Amino acid sequence: MEPLEVFKVETKIPEEAEAYKSILSDIISELALANSIGRIYVIITPEESLFQMAMILRGSSQLIKTSDFADVDVGAVTRNEIQIVLRDEKYLPDLLEKLWVKYGRGKVIQQDRKTINVTVDHIDKDIEVIRDMVIFDPKRTLLSRLVEMAIRGTPEGFRVRYHSLNGNEFVFVASEDPMKDEWVQQGHQMLNQLKGEEALGSSA
Amino acid sequence: MAAVLEPYIYEGGIHRHTLILELLEDLGGYLIQKTPAATEVTLIMLIPRDDVNLVEQLAKDLLGKLSRAPLTGTDIAVVSPTLASHHLPHSACDVAEFLRRGGANTTMIGLARGMGRKVALSADYERKLINEHDIALFSFGTFRDCIINKKPKLFEGIKIPIIVTGGPDLKTEDVPGADMYIGNIGRVSHRLRHSDEIGSLDVMSQKVEQVVEKIREDIARDPLAVLPARIMKEVQEQIPEIESVYTPAPLTLQLDGLRIKLPYVEFHKKIENLELQDNIHLVDVADIKPSKMKDYILVKVKRKSETGIEI
Repeated sequence: MEPLEVFKVETKIPEEAEAYKSILSDIISELALANSIGRIYVIITPEESLFQMAMILRGSSQLIKTSDFADVDVGAVTRNEIQIVLRDEKYLPDLLEKLWVKYGRGKVIQQDRKTINVTVDHIDKDIEVIRDMVIFDPKRTLLSRLVEMAIRGTPEGFRVRYHSLNGNEFVFVASEDPMKDEWVQQGHQMLNQLKGEEALGSSA
Repeated sequence: MAAVLEPYIYEGGIHRHTLILELLEDLGGYLIQKTPAATEVTLIMLIPRDDVNLVEQLAKDLLGKLSRAPLTGTDIAVVSPTLASHHLPHSACDVAEFLRRGGANTTMIGLARGMGRKVALSADYERKLINEHDIALFSFGTFRDCIINKKPKLFEGIKIPIIVTGGPDLKTEDVPGADMYIGNIGRVSHRLRHSDEIGSLDVMSQKVEQVVEKIREDIARDPLAVLPARIMKEVQEQIPEIESVYTPAPLTLQLDGLRIKLPYVEFHKKIENLELQDNIHLVDVADIKPSKMKDYILVKVKRKSETGIEI
């Protein structure tokens, strides 16, 4: 699926849809979501104070493990030390956080920018543990950015909200009034329509 | 009868700009606001109409720029439904900036509960604060239905002229309660910098000028007992404490008064007793009240018909 291969915004008055599309695309680019969203379909009905959005996300990125960005080897055997040499500093804060929780601050020493020494009890076992430790889950920040996008994109004051995230499928409905089942169903129908466009070969 | 004063903005280097101020004083004009920024300075002035060419010549010699600022001496409240990212900073702040370029003073006001359709409302305090200004400009969004049917309830209790900006292209008559509607400035999430957006802002400036012109005409029918700019000058001369007020525009001119940014409790007696002419004090020709903005003083000048005085 291409990024934003379907981007539809509908309102009763076409010019208003155009204006709202520009607001949404600004928000999407501000939150750096353009690459994560495959298809998006929004219907706004101001007369009923209703905002409905269905989205299909592109395949989620993989979990990042320590071995993906660092070399983990035996350091000083006599001191039971494991040495982690970073190839990419991007994940350093997350890695330190995880190591501190697991081994305690006193046992995790950062020698220099790219080298961390960890004192452990069983070198062989812990090397494997650290190599396979999940350091970063791209999905986690994606979710929070998605929520942020939904809230920023909705007209303010539409505080009654429904949302469902199922795998790559996201449905969001917001209104000022108590939520109606039919609105939520419509949201899911919009999602089905988006999925249908897959088979047809879609256009933006 | 005082000379007719014309509003102008001077933009130029700070070097030797005092020559302009000296000339202005000699001509009997008024300096409304001076904003130095590093090596540049912006002066907003009222210049006697017949002598504008003298100031223009001097500005040219100093390599500065003198341009008309038709909104000088107006105090405009730019009202946004809330302070949330949905409504601010974009469009509302650009609107305010454009008004300031025209010489106006603007107050950005974000209502506490102005969002939504059914739930939108304004508080008594907010309405009183807005009513202190010359004009209220409401910055609305994209949907025609909201602007026509729902948002006008925010105008209730607003006694000053109301200007509305919004996305759809509507007529003023379509928006109940508005004195002027300006389209093509709706909700956006980016800075207004495309040429069509800047074009809409230019149109907005012109339309706001029309409203201001109308208010000025209304005032001219029954003139103010004293020009607000005159009061400003007297405050500067008689109350030295104003020199140590560091807010922008310590004296904010309005079409029918001014806001003095000194604490009311401490200074209102001094302001009331400000001598304008022999035996005429400010309290004789104006209402002096606490402003809703912080602890400032609000002066609203009475009309000639009411006081029998014209200075």
